Amino acid sequence: MTIHTCDIDADDIQKLTDITTPTDLRDTLDAPNIGSIILEIVDAILATSMEKRSSAELLNIEKNNSKNASSDSLNSDSKSSSLNSKIGQESECWDKASHSKSFSTSSTSTDNNIVSALETKKETQEQRSENLSGSDTGPPLFSGEHVHGQAREVTYLCPYSGPARGILSVTNYKLYFKSIDRETPYVVEVPLGVVSRIEKVGGASSRGENSYGIEVFCKDMRNLKFAHKQENHSRRNVFEKLQQYSFPLSHKLPLFAFQYSETFSENGWNVYEPIAELKRMGVNNDMWKISKINDTYSLCDSYPAVWAVPAAATDEDLQAAAAFRSRGRLPVLSWIHPESQATITRCAQPLVGVGGKRSREDERYVQLIMDANAQSHKLFIMDARPSANAIANKAKGGGYESEDAYQNAELVFLDIHNIHVMRESLRKLKELCFPVIDETRWLSGIESTYWLKHIKCILAGALRIVDKVENHKTSVLVHCSDGWDRTPQLTALAMLMLDPYYRTIRGFEVLVEKEWLSFGHKFQQRIGHGDEHHSDADRSPVFLQFIDCVWQIYQQFPNAFQFNEHFLITILDHLYSCRFGTFLFNSDRERVQEQLKQRTVSLWSYTNSQLSLYQNPLYWAGPLHQLVLMPIASMRHIKLWKRLYCRWNPSMRQQDPVYQRTRELLIQKEQLEKKVEECRREQATRANRSLTSPAPPRIHSPVHS
Amino acid sequence: MENKTGNNFISYVGFEQHEMQLLGTSHRDSLSENSMKLLAGELLIAKAQNVLMFAPVGDLTQGISGILSVTNFKLSFVTTDDTNSEDVTYQQNNLCGYTDTCLSNIHDIYIIIGDKKRRLYTGSTIPSKVEGIFIVCKNMRTWSFSFKFSPVGCGKNLLTTLLHHAFPSRHQLLFAYDYKEPYYNSMERGVHLFRDRADWENELQRTTRIRGNTNKAWRVSTANVEFEFSLSLSQYIIVPASVTDSQLTRAAGHFQGSRPPVWSWSSERGAALVRMSELLPTITERTQENIMLENIRKSHPQKLEPIVIELKKDVTVKSLATGYAKFISLCSPENIRQFWMQDNNFYSLLEGTKWLRSVSYCLEKSVEASDCLNAGTSVILQEGESRDLCCVISSLIQLLLDPYYRTITGFESLLQKEWVAAGHPFCDRLGHIMKSSSERSPLLLLYLDCVWQLCRQFPAEFEFTETYLTTLWDSAHISIFDTFIFNCEKDRYDAAMDPASPLILRSVWDWREQFNDSDILLFYNPLYSMSLSSTGKTYIKPVFNIPCLELWAQCYFRWIPPLEIRNGGRNHIELYSRLIQNDISHLKVNANGSCSSPVDKVTTYLVQMNIDSFYPFTNKKSGNVISTPIMNNSTLPTESLLDVQSLLTAPD
Repeated sequence: MTIHTCDIDADDIQKLTDITTPTDLRDTLDAPNIGSIILEIVDAILATSMEKRSSAELLNIEKNNSKNASSDSLNSDSKSSSLNSKIGQESECWDKASHSKSFSTSSTSTDNNIVSALETKKETQEQRSENLSGSDTGPPLFSGEHVHGQAREVTYLCPYSGPARGILSVTNYKLYFKSIDRETPYVVEVPLGVVSRIEKVGGASSRGENSYGIEVFCKDMRNLKFAHKQENHSRRNVFEKLQQYSFPLSHKLPLFAFQYSETFSENGWNVYEPIAELKRMGVNNDMWKISKINDTYSLCDSYPAVWAVPAAATDEDLQAAAAFRSRGRLPVLSWIHPESQATITRCAQPLVGVGGKRSREDERYVQLIMDANAQSHKLFIMDARPSANAIANKAKGGGYESEDAYQNAELVFLDIHNIHVMRESLRKLKELCFPVIDETRWLSGIESTYWLKHIKCILAGALRIVDKVENHKTSVLVHCSDGWDRTPQLTALAMLMLDPYYRTIRGFEVLVEKEWLSFGHKFQQRIGHGDEHHSDADRSPVFLQFIDCVWQIYQQFPNAFQFNEHFLITILDHLYSCRFGTFLFNSDRERVQEQLKQRTVSLWSYTNSQLSLYQNPLYWAGPLHQLVLMPIASMRHIKLWKRLYCRWNPSMRQQDPVYQRTRELLIQKEQLEKKVEECRREQATRANRSLTSPAPPRIHSPVHS
Repeated sequence: MENKTGNNFISYVGFEQHEMQLLGTSHRDSLSENSMKLLAGELLIAKAQNVLMFAPVGDLTQGISGILSVTNFKLSFVTTDDTNSEDVTYQQNNLCGYTDTCLSNIHDIYIIIGDKKRRLYTGSTIPSKVEGIFIVCKNMRTWSFSFKFSPVGCGKNLLTTLLHHAFPSRHQLLFAYDYKEPYYNSMERGVHLFRDRADWENELQRTTRIRGNTNKAWRVSTANVEFEFSLSLSQYIIVPASVTDSQLTRAAGHFQGSRPPVWSWSSERGAALVRMSELLPTITERTQENIMLENIRKSHPQKLEPIVIELKKDVTVKSLATGYAKFISLCSPENIRQFWMQDNNFYSLLEGTKWLRSVSYCLEKSVEASDCLNAGTSVILQEGESRDLCCVISSLIQLLLDPYYRTITGFESLLQKEWVAAGHPFCDRLGHIMKSSSERSPLLLLYLDCVWQLCRQFPAEFEFTETYLTTLWDSAHISIFDTFIFNCEKDRYDAAMDPASPLILRSVWDWREQFNDSDILLFYNPLYSMSLSSTGKTYIKPVFNIPCLELWAQCYFRWIPPLEIRNGGRNHIELYSRLIQNDISHLKVNANGSCSSPVDKVTTYLVQMNIDSFYPFTNKKSGNVISTPIMNNSTLPTESLLDVQSLLTAPD
């Protein structure tokens, strides 16, 4: 990571060109992503001598783009995340909605989130070419995508802008509705992976308008209602197709990711190389070594093939320790402090059981982890669970380390609740945020969902880990029950706070690949890809919570992340979409078996091919002082992520103009840099000329201070 | 911290260390009061030694020892530890030190008795042994002092004095009357105080001239120049041109506070914003009101009927005060235990204060009125005496519609026009004087919060920063400036014209009275783009539903250390853009310098780089201060600039 010094001599202008921004910010500048207002700014400031053409062109492009955002909406979003599908199309809702005062306040809604507008444009261009071949009523399609069902005269019952009549199509990837009764077509598009449940509403005999139809319940905090004509079983076909392609695994069909065949300039499957990442942290070294004992996933089938363990541990030690840990998930390295060598290690609960069993080997192995850090003679074992849950687990053969057995280890319970509590909390949150927001009880409503309290608890837990590792140079061992839900929340967050690398775009991808995917967070079970059992008790928003926590930290440290909010939302959209292979299956072993890397596209191929969309203009890769982030885990700072949870509600669609304005400034700066460069060149030529001419050289203009 | 023994002064002591008392008091006297800075006219009244000051919102076990004094201006805590004059990272006030509190800023005083605290009022009986006191300030700062190690009787003496002087009963007891420092006005020329006729004439011209032809529909009236018919209105008021002074005087008697409708602002299309009081409850016929309404209608270019917006339903002076009492206690936890208890239910506690609801209401009403004005309809705001919510809403409307008011001088002029001249009872609302008849209510803060919401939603539209707004709120509690201590212009006029001892009027807008230039620099928003205001976006329309609002963390949380984000916070956005702006300035100089024109005089400031989230209001104790020089980016008026050398060598 580049470190830029801050001690600038005021006179030393030469240096100034490279002090404040990392060079990769220039990528951002290349993108035509500025608001129309910049024209005036640039004109006003640079009018005198600047060559304006290039900037003006940039600006014009964007001007048109933002205007077109809504009119182009019919084909603006098929490729993009579902977030974008809503931007633009619902701008009309603002005026039409009748039931809330808030809808009349949307002056800001017209200039959309700049990032999304950008992506919309990009998608639009690509889509246009695709559309040439397709019919104009059907949805735009990806390669590998086919229309399987269509219903005409369907009414989409928008909770904000009222009913819209149009055509509903179902492909093997998405549900696509396009209105035909409005001047600006209204488009709804939902990847079927997002669907958790589909229900028929009313029967053929139901009375009343729009009483017969389909309701679609989504995993991303919204429901969609469609009304059909009460004749000829008009909903039967689309309902069946929706069922089949929303839940392909329940219908013996493949997930869309295996049919999707788009190619990208980057191959995201190469982002994470376990050995390269361990080497980045300095492993192998005196104390830690890379072990390939799990090469064939025989020691632990939910762990990756490669991991790092204390150098002093033999293969027998590892086997013995694995035998005493739930599902063989023995303690292995997550992160190592570059200076103090204090480590974060992760595992599953020990198999203590009601009898209070002990394992000398596991105890010795934990001692090895402690010994690998010469700075401290202590080890903290952070058990993510509430102590009551940890005790209750003894009945099922699990439990926690007793401090008697594990000498020099201190056990701390972090009080984070289990997947079922979290699922229920999100359900309540959805009730609060969709479709209508009760303004008068909004704050107490948020509190009653406990969602933010859980977020606070996770952040507080991660902070304790960071504090021990960073401030006390003490190693920390983290586990919960199986070590694949709360444990990666804590380790990944702690790593994000400790290591600036994980706050870059690629670093964050590595973090997700490593702590979540390779160590076996059960994405398939927690999300339920392609599975119709919507009430499956294994589903839980564990990863969503992690991303929410990342967002909370990002709120507190707006300069510390290379990526922006849109990046996080994109990840979450494709967590469900099943367009990419990244979040499929439960473990590395399964992914290798299914040849995921060969047969599907990685989400990171998609993101890394259009990095400029995800870059945070405020990112400040330099200052030493943001090495370790210590966010404040107080409810006074923790906020509801409205741009995620409330994004379907047009009255809540706020943008962050700070980003826009900062981009403008950066562009202005770049233009000036160019100008200075030109001047230098001109000067140089003049100097040359004057050297050859007899006239006295006048190289410098007068400068006084 | 270790106890230092020997003849050094002990600054950190554990609360439980009773041996502390054994140390002689003689060397402690070496910390004499001359280390406390007294202003001209400021007198020391009471003093207590060996007072422990606890860290705010801490666990009340460790404190700093020092001398606590009460003067006729402030409560001052002085300790030897306060020697870090070189690495000062917080905003420095020339009048009031970091551990000083202006008496006017004191909101509540509590006496600590065991585990409990009891609120004290003027005249409360004070026990002979005072263990400790807890003070909540109007700007939500808190102080915890313990007299455990002070000489016997010190605590009681100090507390009695404090109680007497913090809540004065007469206006003349405010320090402004005692302050003897000669005053040299160095205020920005652009700020209009609206005390002269010319300011009103200019304002009328500025707003009505836009369409090219001067508006003849409104005129400046001098009917109240000697406060003949209304004591709370200003000397000059603007009324429909068709209303004669005698009509005006006659009508005035029918309105509350004898305040007939007066003009505030006109839109480009000639729609006027008017403030109007309600009729007196004793008046049953509405003739006079109707006459005035008819004249206002006639003043519209198209003679359109004005719309009357009543401001008395959802938020009142009283209801606001009730909610605010809860809000202030939510923002000033006494100790860390209470802090975390509040944290458990913070969202519902916040909802219970109704604070955001009041903010939402004001923004909603302002948008409603602005929509009308923008569409060309005149708007009349009506409220009791039109001196409270009218001030908030009419100012907000003008901020939404008129970019001029989004500059610093414009904003200050607006406050003069809509608050000071319009007779907002600052003295009563801010609680400068203890009177049974006066109603405290945080209308000014409500307004500043609304403005902050606007700044948050439109970060490039305002010339000032949140630091400016927060500082303004602090300054409202410094009893040196005349701006916020009077209830109306007449009171100010009388005080200034008092033949016996005329009050010297010092405007709060003369920021150099309080701050040096590097602190003033932080008032200027680096994201502000002047060209935006002169073109395009004149009407900014905020969202106002509660879920879209935020709590103003800097203003309300800055005195709660557990909430300070180390090296983080949204003020880094500002810092970052300041640095980009600096680069831009350098590049411009460089470009011009190498190509054509000579470089202008370059002025430079030191800007602190590793800031925490409540910078510049907190004292960074840990870590080194890293700063970088940045160039004046021409948002500052040039006459205010110092070069970096004189900044560095300037005495503090």
